[in-house]
Order: sequence, then structure tokens, then C-alpha cells
Amino acid sequence: MVTRFPSRSFRPPGRRLRILLASGAAALALAAGSVVLGSPFGPSPQEAQAADGKSTLTVAVAQSVDSLSPFLAQRLVSTSIHRLMYDYLTNYDAKDSRTIPGLATEWETSADKLTWTYTIRSDSKWSDGEKATAEDAAWTFNKMMTDEGAATSNGSFVGNFKKVTATGPDKLVIELKQPQATMTALDVPIVPRHVWEKVGDFSKFNNDTKFPVVGNGPFILTDYKVDSYVKLKANKDFWRGAPKFDELVFRYYKDQDAAVAALRKGEVSFVAGSPSLTPAQAESLKTTDNIKVNDAPGRRFYALATNPGARTKDGQKFGDGHPALLDQKVRRALFMAVDRTAIIDKVFQGYAMEGEGYIPPRYGSYFWKPTAGQKLAYDPAKAAALLDEAGYRKNSAGKRTGKDGKALDFRILCHATDPNDKAIGKYLQEWWGDLGIGLKVDCLDNVSDPWYAGEYDLAFDGWSVNPDPDFVMSIHTCAALPAKAKESAATDNFICDKQYDELYAKQLAEYDPAKRADLVKQMESRLYDTGYMNVMAYPNAVEAYRTDQIESITTMPSDAGNIYGQDGYWSWWSAVPADGASGGSSGDGGSSTGVLIGVGVAVAVLAGGGLLFAMRRRSTAEDRE
Amino acid sequence: MTTTTDAAPAPGPRALTWARRRQAAGRFWQQYRGHRAGLVGLAVLAVIALTALAAPLLVGEGSRSVTAAPGGPLESPSAGFPLGTDQFGRSLLALLVWGTRVSLTVGLLAAFLSVAIGTLVGITAGHFKGWYGNIVMRITDWFLVMPTLVLAIALATVLSRSVWTTILAIGVTTWPTTARLVRAQTLSVESRPYIERSKALGGGHGHIMSRHVLPNVMPLVLAQTTLVISTAILTEATLAFLGLGDPTIVSWGGLLQDAREAGAVSSGNWWYLAPPGLAIAVVALAFTLCGRTVESVLNPKLGVSR
Repeated sequence: MVTRFPSRSFRPPGRRLRILLASGAAALALAAGSVVLGSPFGPSPQEAQAADGKSTLTVAVAQSVDSLSPFLAQRLVSTSIHRLMYDYLTNYDAKDSRTIPGLATEWETSADKLTWTYTIRSDSKWSDGEKATAEDAAWTFNKMMTDEGAATSNGSFVGNFKKVTATGPDKLVIELKQPQATMTALDVPIVPRHVWEKVGDFSKFNNDTKFPVVGNGPFILTDYKVDSYVKLKANKDFWRGAPKFDELVFRYYKDQDAAVAALRKGEVSFVAGSPSLTPAQAESLKTTDNIKVNDAPGRRFYALATNPGARTKDGQKFGDGHPALLDQKVRRALFMAVDRTAIIDKVFQGYAMEGEGYIPPRYGSYFWKPTAGQKLAYDPAKAAALLDEAGYRKNSAGKRTGKDGKALDFRILCHATDPNDKAIGKYLQEWWGDLGIGLKVDCLDNVSDPWYAGEYDLAFDGWSVNPDPDFVMSIHTCAALPAKAKESAATDNFICDKQYDELYAKQLAEYDPAKRADLVKQMESRLYDTGYMNVMAYPNAVEAYRTDQIESITTMPSDAGNIYGQDGYWSWWSAVPADGASGGSSGDGGSSTGVLIGVGVAVAVLAGGGLLFAMRRRSTAEDRE
Repeated sequence: MTTTTDAAPAPGPRALTWARRRQAAGRFWQQYRGHRAGLVGLAVLAVIALTALAAPLLVGEGSRSVTAAPGGPLESPSAGFPLGTDQFGRSLLALLVWGTRVSLTVGLLAAFLSVAIGTLVGITAGHFKGWYGNIVMRITDWFLVMPTLVLAIALATVLSRSVWTTILAIGVTTWPTTARLVRAQTLSVESRPYIERSKALGGGHGHIMSRHVLPNVMPLVLAQTTLVISTAILTEATLAFLGLGDPTIVSWGGLLQDAREAGAVSSGNWWYLAPPGLAIAVVALAFTLCGRTVESVLNPKLGVSR
């Protein structure tokens, strides 16, 4: 945004004539500058089919890559790219997310459930010609087990590993300390040993020095420039079959509106649903020719987190969370005053589902709903009664006060980059204001610092959930708490609950899917009752692509699923270029309004400029006396 | 300001001063009236100030509420909502009227802060010409070459998001021009003989600065204030538009930011973007017109008022 703002408008007001002109023009530009984006003054469209006949799929993304090293990457964009660069032992079926073979063709477990043997496929090759073997896999896991710096992103998977060996080029044996349910969902990219052996410090190496990066996934990373682009080319020798597009480019658009404008012009083929398109954008794109809007149930939950009193593993307290939130009644009352239907209807405008349990309904077997008696339904009157009961009564000014006579005022941590946070913040202020509770919405670009420091009362929170729920459940265990105060840690919200932890340990050791699902549901139920994490909504994945550039693309799950940020590599691997994908018709449809706006703005600017000029003439005449 | 050394006749010295002030004000208005642009600016400002003051009466307290919003999201202009609605279904006309308050408040307070700092720095630097003046003016130069917007953004990012932060950020970044102007004027005033006389009679630094210099730079400061207000309003809108304002209050720049976040730009909802932008332009223009007129009336170089 900063870069696009007309920089000339804010000179120091040395010359009064100049400022006269500048002030008018700048203010107009403030309104107009951004409109021009969507209007026809931009560069001419690029086409999906380049001149040399290579087909390129361009994806507009906003999230920055944290690291290209699979040992360090945690963000969605980076892990999605790793799915494309490296093969994992197993993959998830596009249709129903069940485990299917990846680099391992089959796997079996010993009777005591502590030894797992994977058979590694023989037809997978690294892009430098070497064969991918069990040795590579064993080395990857051993590295994570022995090197602290290599365990940053996926360390939780190997914490329970006793020994990993390659007994042959196609046999990988993993011995466990305890049974572990996630053994067929090890989301760990397997890296080539002969390349990574040379790496010195794993906590510092970002895998972005030598291109192309050696991999064995459906695409090979060929180039990367921070916050500019990530380029990949198709791996023609990929064992599952070569991707249809020759090249895949993730191009950065830090502004969603700019990305949508680029999609309209055909400069990009796809706009990622992360963050989702706004309802207004989706509505207007739906009526645009050659653009398809994919609106599907998402992987995310969107919750209201309350600070349960930040503390370290040893119980040392830190941070400044509001003491009133330590009372379960207060936490419940707050959530009972949140009208979730209004949030779905007004903020998400139907592009979301009402929140229930912790895991979104998309993962049917783990989805849990509170029972009728348990549910914290929207009921402001009951919430008020609950607060009275907890000892927070309204005073004469209509504010609730505690026993110490202090007014009940909370802060909520909000992501300045997320419009939904701000919008819901406004609603919360009014709903809780009616209850007599004050709320200060703290919108920050970087919420991590106060968050890790425990310096918040409430926060907007959300995670993408994997087909295997282990990770999103693990972030609420006592084991995830930080070792030292204010240090970053795996914990999401400093929750530490004995009952929850017991259930967590049980589910991790349970191999029977139905029994494990039941345990996970019990955990969700427990989490719901504590009121530390109140899920408000499951936002949809709202994304759009050009049908004149992409003929077909696989969603996950295949009927009604998302495209960007899948658990597998299906979308980009399966995307088929549209034939005759020419940009001739690009800029149609929506741009007619664009033209109108552009013309309107131009007229306004000219009129304003003319007026100013006339005045300027006159005033200089006066100045000449 | 060279008052009462004669033993006063019938109307006491105070009354005399007031009579002279009244006369000066009358003379000022007489000359101001001659500038058509200034009158237009003043009229526009009067209308806007009235709108701001009467906002609760005009559109009602509840029009900012999101929970009680009357319309659907992003409705286009209609009889019920002359400027359409925002993404929460609130009337944009009502929000525009409310936004007047923030823009004016921030503009006035920030300009006042800026000019106050500038005047203080300028007068002291002009009066104490030695090492103090030198150092202060080098600091001023440094602030002068710093891009105002970047500095303001940095400040607004570091401090918590509120109206006061915005005011502070604008105030402490836009004072150097005023400081330079005031210093120049101070130097010229201090070279006049009556200052020397005052010194000879035992007038101290404080006395000279507050009794002799300040009244003489006041006209310049007044004109400068009016001009700085329009800059301040623009900067406020810019900061809010860049998402650095308080998201929970309604301001014009904030409206533009909301519009951008709602995707109004790429979906072509011009009615969400144009009115706040035009409003900012009109207010900034009105203040500039007034400021210019005041300046040309009071310009000490022309020797109009004294």
C-alpha cells in the first residue's frame, strides 16, 4: 500500500500555491488512486501461453515465505510449496483425505505396534538424476531427531521415535518408544541426503542459495525472490505422471484488490483464497466472464481465544492477562453474548459456517458438536445473569465492576491485516458494551510479540486443520508451554489442562480410527467446556481462477473443496491448461464499470485541477501588488 | 504593543487597548472581505463545522452501530441510503457526517500542536542566537528533510492506535516549516530599535520574547496554522487509509481503508470511495483558501496591520 500512495502529496507546506494544488489533488487521488487499479490504465495483459509455447500457471499469493528449508518452514505458503518440491512418505487422497501411498508404496506395523516398516518406491528419482531411496528418508528423520535446529517445523512427529534405519534401498524401519497414531500421516518432506549432508547449520540454512533445488516432487523449484515470486517447473519424470502445466509461478500481491485486478486482466490465473476473497470481490467476480469462483468449506477454524494466565512449563507466571478471565463463568458469559449467526450473515456474508467444535465439519470423522445442554448458545440475558453470579454487577453507570470496584475492561488482540478481525471487533464492542463490559480492540501488524509475552486478554485465533488432527490438538497441551517466559513455543494460547492432556496421550497411542476419533471428540468437548477457545466460525475458502487459462483443476475434497493450500499437491499437479488460452477477452465484464469509474475520476480530477488552476492564476495576480 | 507610557486620560489603558484591538479586527475583516476565495473557503468551513457539531442531531447516535445497521451490505445509492451502505449495512452518508468530527478534531489539534512546537522552537532559536539557536536549527533542518509521512507512519506504528497517536504523529512531524518561518520573523523583529530600548530598560529574555516578539509573530503564526490544518487533515486521512488509525472510530480516511478492505475497489463500488475522498479534498481546500487569504491580509511584509 505504502508504495502505491502518491508520494508527491505530502511535501512540507513551504509553497502555499503548491499545497493548494497538492491538497486538492492528493485528496482526490486518495479516493481515486486505488480505483484506477481496477480500471483500464494498467499494463497490457499477459497470457497464459507464452510465445515459446510453454504453459505457465500464475498464482497470486500474499503470505511471505518464512523459509524454503523443509526443516524450518511453518507457514501455509511454504509448506504448500514443499509438497510440490519433495515427496512425502504418504499422501492424502484428493477425494476423501484417506492416506494413500507417496514415496512409500506400502507399510506395516509389528504386533506390539512399535515397529513400522515402509517400502520405498523404486521409480522416484531426484532431479539431479540420483535415485530416491530409504537412505534419504532415514537420514531426514535421523537429522530431525539429533539436530535441534532441524526439528523446528516437524519435530513433533519424531519426538517419540526411538530409532530409524534403512535396512535396504527400499526398506525403512522406524522404531517407536510409544505407539503413535500419526505414523501414516507423517507430513515430513523427505530430502536428498547427498545434497543436504553438506549443510552446516540447519537452523540458519534457508535452502534458497542454489537453484534449481534438487527435489523429487511434481515440481522443481527454479527461482525465488523474497516477496516477489517463487518459480517452479514441471518435473517431467515424476512417478505419478508429469504435471500438465510446464511452469508454476507464485507471484506476490500484497494487496488483495490488486490481485483481483490482475486476475481480471489475465495477468494471473488464480487468486489464492488465503486470505479469502471478500464477499464483495466474490460477488463481482461471479458475474465476470471467464472467471470461476470456487467457494468451498474451508480447513480453518476462526476462534476467540482467552488468555488463561500465561505461564511456563515450570509454572512460572508471566504476561498481564485480565484476572477476571480466569473465571470460567466470565469466559462463558462473554461467548454467550457473541451472536454467531450475525457474524456469519454480516461479516462473512454467508461465506462461512457457524462455529461449533474445534475441528471443522469438513473432517467429518473428527467433527464434534456440543450437546443441547452443553451448548453456549447466543443468549445475552443468560450471559448477564452468569456475570452477576460471578460477582461482576452493573453499577449505576451501566458498567460492570468486580469486587474491587474496578470496571471490567478487556483488550482484544487483532491482526491489523485481517479485515474480519476488525469487523468482528466492532460487533464485540457493541455486544459486550450492552453487557456493561468495555473492549479495546488492539490491531497490530505483528501480534506475535504480545502474544508470546502473554500480554493480552482476548485474541482472534485461527488454524488450518490437517486431515490428521494431532497437530492442532497438540498445541493446547501442557507440554507445548514455553520453557522460558516470553519465549516462542508450540503453544497456541497457554492452555494447560490435565484432563485434556490425558485424553491427548490416549488418542496418540490409539491405532483404532473409530476409538481415536471418539477420544479426539472428547478433547474437543473438554476444550469447549473450559471456554478458552471459542470457535465462532469456519470460514470458507473463497478463491477464483480464469477458466480461459485453466481448463480444469482438482479441488480437495474433490467435490466442494479448496484449491490453494491443500493437504496434497493435487490442485497444481492436476491443473490442465485451457487450449487457445489467449488473453484477448481479458479485462471484459467488470472493467466496464472500471472504465466508468476511471472516466468519472478523471473528470473529477480535471475539474478540481481546473478550478485550482484558475484560482492559482488569480491569486498570483493578487500577489503581484 | 508599545502601550501606555503616558499617564492615562479618561478611558483607562485597558479600555484603550481593547478599542484598538477591535479596530484592528474590523480592519482585518474589511480586507479579508475583499478576497472572494477566502470568503468561499470560510463559508464552506462554516457549513462543515456546523455539520460536525450537529452530527448527532442530523444522523442520530445509532448510525455508527454495526449491530443495529439498517441496510444490507454494500448497497448502491438509493432513496433510503443516498450514498449507499458499507459492508455492515450502515448508511454511508451518516458515516460521512460522523467522519467530519474526527477529521476536523484531528486536523485542528494536530495543527495546533505542530504550530505550538514550531513557534516555541522558532522564537527561542531566533532569540538565543548562539550555540543554542545553532543546534536547534540543525535539528529543525534534520526534521525538515525527513519525509513527513514516513516519520508519521513510523510513529503511528510504534505507538498504540488511537486518535491521540495520530495527532501526536502529525504534530511532531510537521513543525519545522513553522519553526523556520517564525525564526526569520523573530530575527527581523529583534533588530528593531524598540527591542533595544526594552533591553536598555531592563527587559529580560522572557519579557522580550513574550511581550514583544510573540505578538509580532502572531499574525504569521495564525496564517501558518490555517495552512497546516489542511496538511494535517490530509495526513490524518493518509494514516487512516494506510490502516494506522484507530479502526474503531469513524473517520474519512478510515472509511477509505474500510472500503479497500471490503474489496470495494476491485468490485467497482465507487459510491463507497468517492464521497470520503471528495470530502477530504473539499475541507483541505477550504482551509487552504482561508489560510491564504489570512496570510495575504496579515503579511507583515506588506505592512498592512501595523
